[in-house]
Amino acid sequence: MKYTQSLLVALVAMFGGWLIVLVTPSASLLGVFTQAVIYAMFALGVGFLLKQNGLVSFGHALYFGGVGYAVGVVLTLDMMPAEWAIPAVLLAIGAAAFAVGLVIVRVPGIAFGMLTLAIGQMFYLLATRARGITGGSDGMGVPWPTTLYGFPEKALRQPETLFMITWVALVLVALLLHLLLKMRFGAVTEAIRDNEERARFIGIRTTVPRAAVYAISAVVSAIAGLLSNYNSAFASPESLHWSVSAITLLMVIVGGFQTLAGPIVGAIVYFLVSDILGDYATYSMAIFGAALIAVIVFSPHGITGAVTSFVKRRRKGAASLSAGATREREAT
Amino acid sequence: MSSQVLHAQGVALYYGGVRALNGVDLELHRGRICGLIGPNGAGKSTVIDAITGRRALTQGRIVLEGHDISRLGVVERRKLGLSRSFQRTSIFGGMTVRRQVELASWKTGIDDWQDDAYAVLRELDLADLGDVLAHDLGYGEQRRLDLALALTGRPKVLLLDEPMAGLSVKESHDLAGHLKALTSSWDVSVLLVEHDMDVVFGISDSVVVFELGRVIAKGTPAEVRADPRVREAYLGSAA
Repeated sequence: MKYTQSLLVALVAMFGGWLIVLVTPSASLLGVFTQAVIYAMFALGVGFLLKQNGLVSFGHALYFGGVGYAVGVVLTLDMMPAEWAIPAVLLAIGAAAFAVGLVIVRVPGIAFGMLTLAIGQMFYLLATRARGITGGSDGMGVPWPTTLYGFPEKALRQPETLFMITWVALVLVALLLHLLLKMRFGAVTEAIRDNEERARFIGIRTTVPRAAVYAISAVVSAIAGLLSNYNSAFASPESLHWSVSAITLLMVIVGGFQTLAGPIVGAIVYFLVSDILGDYATYSMAIFGAALIAVIVFSPHGITGAVTSFVKRRRKGAASLSAGATREREAT
Repeated sequence: MSSQVLHAQGVALYYGGVRALNGVDLELHRGRICGLIGPNGAGKSTVIDAITGRRALTQGRIVLEGHDISRLGVVERRKLGLSRSFQRTSIFGGMTVRRQVELASWKTGIDDWQDDAYAVLRELDLADLGDVLAHDLGYGEQRRLDLALALTGRPKVLLLDEPMAGLSVKESHDLAGHLKALTSSWDVSVLLVEHDMDVVFGISDSVVVFELGRVIAKGTPAEVRADPRVREAYLGSAA
């Protein structure tokens, strides 16, 4: 029963994606929406780490950009078909991130952020220098096949289809994370985040769940990177740069990281604002920076946090009004 | 005499050249409360850290029901029935009361963890606050939640580090009543580190006095209260 409501919301959300396709007037705008949804997925990965581990990563671009290179190398060398390469690369990224996580999640606070930055930049430099494999600063084209899972490339690359694929993937990933957090894993990781020492003294081994959260967030970021790569069929070293992680972190903070919806909202707001600015889009970072300052000062829990507390206040107000009216009726 | 549950034998713990604990012998018996008193810096909290595995022993051993647990980690000792609270309230602020107590019960590995969690919540008058986030609780309620987390999983030994700190007289009195009731109804042994002498001498079956990492006296509350060394070192006019 408790899962039925979540499944219904997910179904409605998928239907909402179809409505967006119907009402969007141009293919180019739909392309912007597709980018927004891809970054929403990426922000979801970064936000999941912050929400469940309380850790800030400046290096998740490694997983977002790295997945394109990994699939590109596998397909270029014809190691396996794309249908196998996709899950294999995602699994390998998850396993590698778990192994890295076992070491780095023990490092607290800002030191963790610096470690992720260092690891991310290491791979960025590797991608720009290893010209023979990665194409260096020019990047590498990814030879996606003409059919994928039985669907022709031409149909998959239609703007409407690409949008729906990314949208449905986002809804499914968000649903899976939501269900995961409802399970015991959610309580364990919340307890560790709130008070790691106490968690140990109630019998929780704290390193493995923290590493698992790190690995999950890496895989979600990699799924976003995979969608982005299929969209462009190109792996660029710029996608590995720390600034990509920083912008995504900014989306997470503006949207709010205490819920799974927060990072998604932050990414969509970022892309909508950039699109609305039109010719002034070059100033979008300055405007978003100002928005970040405003959010941190006036609503540290982001847009979703502000909305949640507004709704709570309204409900509280309505409840006390209703109680007052009842008392008045009883008095008369 | 009741049966021995926990025995700290010749426990020493050094921080570099500082001897925080030096040859401490301590016994806890089933269903009994042992009060541990001493001036600040005497090593009272350190002995709890040593027994629960938070700090490694320099010498000595910890024996729980005949088994040497000195080399076990914090999690293993908890699963064997050693449980503790902290001097500062140590709870999970962002979780509801019920969620964290259920989690603590579940992690002990007992089969009926849901019944256990409910019994603990009822025992400490927290059942009606199950859906409240811990950081929204009053201070006294947070202290009871701290104790509730320690009490889950039917522990054999509870090591409580100043559970009455910051409570009002009435709250202290109520919590002392809960502790006394727990030892008989839950069959748990308690090591109670506390500065409130009325509470310690009121509910303890035995009292141990620490000074500079050593035991300087032990016995029944009446014997300890009458000991001239204790009066000189710690109790003074309070005795």
